[in-house]
Amino acid sequence: MIKKISVVLLLTILLLTFTSCNKAEKDQLVLYTWEGMFPREVLEGFTKQTGIEIIYSTFDLNETMLEKLSTANGTSTYDLVIGDDYIIDAVIKRGLAQKLDKTQIPSFGNINPIYQGYFYDETNEYTVPYGAGIPMIVYNPDEIDFDIDSYQDLWDPRLKDSIAITANYRLVNGITLMSMGKGLNETDIPTIKAAGEKLLLLADNIRLVQDDNTQLSLLNGEAKVALLYTSQVTSVLAENPNLKAVFPSEGLGIGIMDFFIPKDAKNAKAAHRFLEYILQPQVAADCFNYLGYFCTTKAADDLVNPNLVFKGEFKGEIMQNVPEDADEQYNKNWIEFKTALN
Amino acid sequence: MRKKYKFPYFYLAFISILMYLPFLVVVVFSFNESKLPTIFTNFSFKWYKELFYNKRLLESLLNSFLLGIFSTLASAVIGTIGAVGLAKTHYKLNKPVSYIATLPMMIPEIILAMVFLAFFSLLSLPFGFVTLLIAHTAFCVPYILIMVSSTINTLDKELEEAARDLGASRRRAFIDIILPLLFPSILSGSILAFAMSLDDVVISVFVNSPYFVTLPVRVYTQLKTGVTPEINALCTIMLIICLIGITIYYILSNKKEKHKHD
Repeated sequence: MIKKISVVLLLTILLLTFTSCNKAEKDQLVLYTWEGMFPREVLEGFTKQTGIEIIYSTFDLNETMLEKLSTANGTSTYDLVIGDDYIIDAVIKRGLAQKLDKTQIPSFGNINPIYQGYFYDETNEYTVPYGAGIPMIVYNPDEIDFDIDSYQDLWDPRLKDSIAITANYRLVNGITLMSMGKGLNETDIPTIKAAGEKLLLLADNIRLVQDDNTQLSLLNGEAKVALLYTSQVTSVLAENPNLKAVFPSEGLGIGIMDFFIPKDAKNAKAAHRFLEYILQPQVAADCFNYLGYFCTTKAADDLVNPNLVFKGEFKGEIMQNVPEDADEQYNKNWIEFKTALN
Repeated sequence: MRKKYKFPYFYLAFISILMYLPFLVVVVFSFNESKLPTIFTNFSFKWYKELFYNKRLLESLLNSFLLGIFSTLASAVIGTIGAVGLAKTHYKLNKPVSYIATLPMMIPEIILAMVFLAFFSLLSLPFGFVTLLIAHTAFCVPYILIMVSSTINTLDKELEEAARDLGASRRRAFIDIILPLLFPSILSGSILAFAMSLDDVVISVFVNSPYFVTLPVRVYTQLKTGVTPEINALCTIMLIICLIGITIYYILSNKKEKHKHD
């Protein structure tokens, strides 16, 4: 009996190892990103068009991805990766990405240049942006009788106990700094301290601080104004189109997700083909409509949900890591702010 | 006459609501048409249909079960042999070994994950089913070892001696006497181990390959883009399967009890 079981066990393991080996020899593209980044039709469309099978592999955190790429030492299994701006900085600095061969991506020019040229890839040699997040202020014009168009307006005493904000300490500090005419990544300690004092004055207006499903507070009437992430803005506008979403006039804190090809990708050719495919206007529009992030492919602007197209003069800054002492002050501001809420 | 307190009933009701209301919410919202998890708009089977078309999700469910079954089997064999060995031998090292054996259960999962990642990379073992199986078996063994160890010392030693006295070989006595007596604790250890393997994310996300992804990893990596109600549908189906399993187990064990009394 035990012998039989162990024989079956061994055979199955052998079989599974073999099947996974066989798979790798076909024409395949191994994609590595979060779950749910593409609509099913887009992935199937690529396979239909090119015959290349897509293996969709996922990670939970940017840091997990970085760790897996850096321990792979030459045996990387991934052909194309999507990650956030700050982690791509680390990926490129450690030499884990390869330069794109732009002759294989004729549609490279379809990219909206306002989402290019940031600190992690200033010369656009490694990355293709895929969606941007821009925190926005959303409010219910039926319940508020004045126009909100800046972060500074959040301090208005008429908004007492009616604002919902996300629980991101850097973002909340950042909007305070921007309302003072400073930058999102301020490192000057006295300036950050001053922002902390200003932030305390906001406490009276705050109704709730929450990271997940913050947008629901606008729907159930708990809050009248909310500072929301892009995916939350998209979902709340779909539910209630009467709400007004504004780009604050002081400037924007943006986050960009980008594709890059790992240094030792086995099928870089397929990765380039996928990039070319994803930059086609209709495909890009389908992706961004599904994903609910800002459209980074300019050629798709006319096809995509108008809420996902940035209009006006772009004054964006990406949140970056700051020196330890500055970060400590940001944390201190945040804790004092949270204490003031109760 | 003893006074009847109402408190136990309140307590039971409170705890039951606290523990089972979330399940109910998941089940109800799996039939919700809207994507938002707070407003119930319309009754629909939309998410079940989506789930049915989501090949990736279903495949990872199958993978999770496969991995759970194999890692539980492997750790049941290793854990039982280990427990019997620790009980039958009397070396000086037995105590330290039994402590070390439970280590994978004690140390934080994330550390174990990093250790496995580094170790498998060092061996240049390709990530996939085999690495997952090794990792899962490693953290499943302690559950079975502990369960079996706790019963083995309560067994009547004379039963085995009697079998040997009647001419059974050591192996025969082990298979026919000891193993059946240990079976309930092996089974309960295995169920624990299976549950542990089935819901592991932290270790799996580090040692898996693109070709073999388990369900918890799929669900967990959805957090960035938002968990869809398909997951509610999947949870409901799994809940039903679990309920059926528990009912069958209950009926079977009741039958056995009756047999004993007859």
